[in-house]
Amino acid sequence: MDILVLVKQVPDTKAIIRAQSDTELDIENKYSLNFFDEFAVEEALRIKEKLASGKVAVITLGSKKAVDALRRGIAMGADEAFQIEDPALEEIDGYATAKTLAKFIESQGYDVILCGKQAIDDDSGAVGPALAQFLGIPYLTSIVELKIAADKKEARAAREIEGGTEIVTCPLPALFTAQKGLNEPRIPQVAGVMKAMKAQIQKFDLKALGLSPEDVRPKTKILKFYPPGKRPPVKMIEEEFPKNVEVLVKILREQEKAI
Amino acid sequence: MDFAFTEEQEFFRQTVRDTIDRMIMPKVQELDEGEEFSFELWHEFAKLGYLGIRHPEEYGGMNIDVISQMIFYEELFRGDVGFAMTVTMQILMGTYFIGRFGTEEIKQKVLVPAIKGEKIGTICFTEDQSGSDLAGTRTTTVLEGDEWVINGTKMWITNAPTCNFCTVLTTTDPSQGIKALNFFLVEEDMPGFSRGQQLKKLGSRSSVTGELVFDNVRVPKDYFLGEELGKGVQYAGEILNEVRVMTGLAACAIAKMAMDDAREYANRRIAFGNPISKYQLIRSKFANFWAWYESARWYCYRCAWMIQQGLPCLTECMLAKMFATEMCLSAVDEATRIYGGNAFAMEYPSQRYFRDARFLLYGGGCHEVLQDYLGRIYLKED
Repeated sequence: MDILVLVKQVPDTKAIIRAQSDTELDIENKYSLNFFDEFAVEEALRIKEKLASGKVAVITLGSKKAVDALRRGIAMGADEAFQIEDPALEEIDGYATAKTLAKFIESQGYDVILCGKQAIDDDSGAVGPALAQFLGIPYLTSIVELKIAADKKEARAAREIEGGTEIVTCPLPALFTAQKGLNEPRIPQVAGVMKAMKAQIQKFDLKALGLSPEDVRPKTKILKFYPPGKRPPVKMIEEEFPKNVEVLVKILREQEKAI
Repeated sequence: MDFAFTEEQEFFRQTVRDTIDRMIMPKVQELDEGEEFSFELWHEFAKLGYLGIRHPEEYGGMNIDVISQMIFYEELFRGDVGFAMTVTMQILMGTYFIGRFGTEEIKQKVLVPAIKGEKIGTICFTEDQSGSDLAGTRTTTVLEGDEWVINGTKMWITNAPTCNFCTVLTTTDPSQGIKALNFFLVEEDMPGFSRGQQLKKLGSRSSVTGELVFDNVRVPKDYFLGEELGKGVQYAGEILNEVRVMTGLAACAIAKMAMDDAREYANRRIAFGNPISKYQLIRSKFANFWAWYESARWYCYRCAWMIQQGLPCLTECMLAKMFATEMCLSAVDEATRIYGGNAFAMEYPSQRYFRDARFLLYGGGCHEVLQDYLGRIYLKED
């Protein structure tokens, strides 16, 4: 069983990000593999280890820093890595990303495709479902459990839904997006890290995939970035108990509309 | 000149940092307060394979380049300093001579399990009356038939309460001073080997430190670690280059952690209606630190590069260790001043950096001895 994991290098949660202009961000040079993608890589490795067969590949779109997402995947245990890089892919959206990936995957034939439920930088959560649409395969989002049937023709997944869990089956090949709770991602061993440092990344551009810049023109356009508003200072309630509870409830209800 | 790390080294740093952030950082306060060595964390960490980074692959190591080793040490010391001391003792000092001079049998018996974390090692330089002054070594070794007989007591030994084997510096002829210094391997199950008192320490408290006693310990002839007798001080100098650069980068890591924490505090703490980071005297502390930190850190990496190139760098490594440590001691002090009265409370981290940094003064040579030596070199005295 061959598994492909879509990975993305995103600004680290500790990186300082400022809006430089309406459409440009100034991002501190701290990047890491997307939080949800780690669950996807881990799940792929666990499936491979359980079945004791097949290959796990990781793929990303992007330039230099994107390679580190691939290296992280290899350090964790992935067998091969693919990078799609092209000047026309610099400013793209989920649609264009999915379309490019679909073209690559069509020629490869994977049984399972895994990715994070969303990237923590743009939070759009669009690539996984859009890719499944392009490939004409089923997809299940936000999974917290995945089991592959013994005949490798069907998968059974648990999805977190409002107030509970939903158990769903689907035929393979299929795409799954990983939610926190799916597993506990492993910390790479140094042997894996060394392998990742030396790994040959297989690169493709649009031409190699049989695509033109026109084919991957994004459908959406970012008009403006707004920084989040500054948090107001802490307000201490001066009154003594039980009056302070009454004041707190009043604030929560009337000012904050929280209850 | 090329001051850049390679892309691979940057990736390695990021991966090690992530590992330390996940595995060590959440436990730092608990480890410091516990004042005990955590076997659980040790075995968990050992599984990742980092204990073998400087040893050959045939013994389970990774044999990575010196600069990458130093990157590892720098990132490791961002976490718990005591744990980092145990790990570096194992990787560098505790197994160095075994890897370099041990017979194949010794390597299989000691080095291979050490790389797996199954055995803990240490090195014994210091005695109650000698440390930086190696010529003052009083532990003796005498050849009797086919065995070496070791007698003496070693102090301030990292991992003394937990070690399964140790490399011991001794003199084979006290009248010959440094010309008679040699290293020998001793295992914990050898008759005459015992552990003395465990020391209570100011900092790096999750590493255990103490005394080792050698009372007529008889070791086989091939437990002598060297090519020929009398070269111990030369070998010590070679390992001390790496130890000093490692200590310098440990200083850089501790200093940076202390000042990064202080930065967050300065941005949060309000005084006279503003965060204290808005005041020039506070800002100057960060500016001064930054300049000294960058200078120390890049000088350490230059020394790492010299070691990697096989260039002589004894004085450079001494300078790096001394300069980086003094920078760190100043930084951890300034960090406590930024924290104000809260630096005196155990619940804030700045007191821990202040305490932990003190060990840097002694590892790799105390500064008074280094200053005396370096001053003599600069003055071109005989």
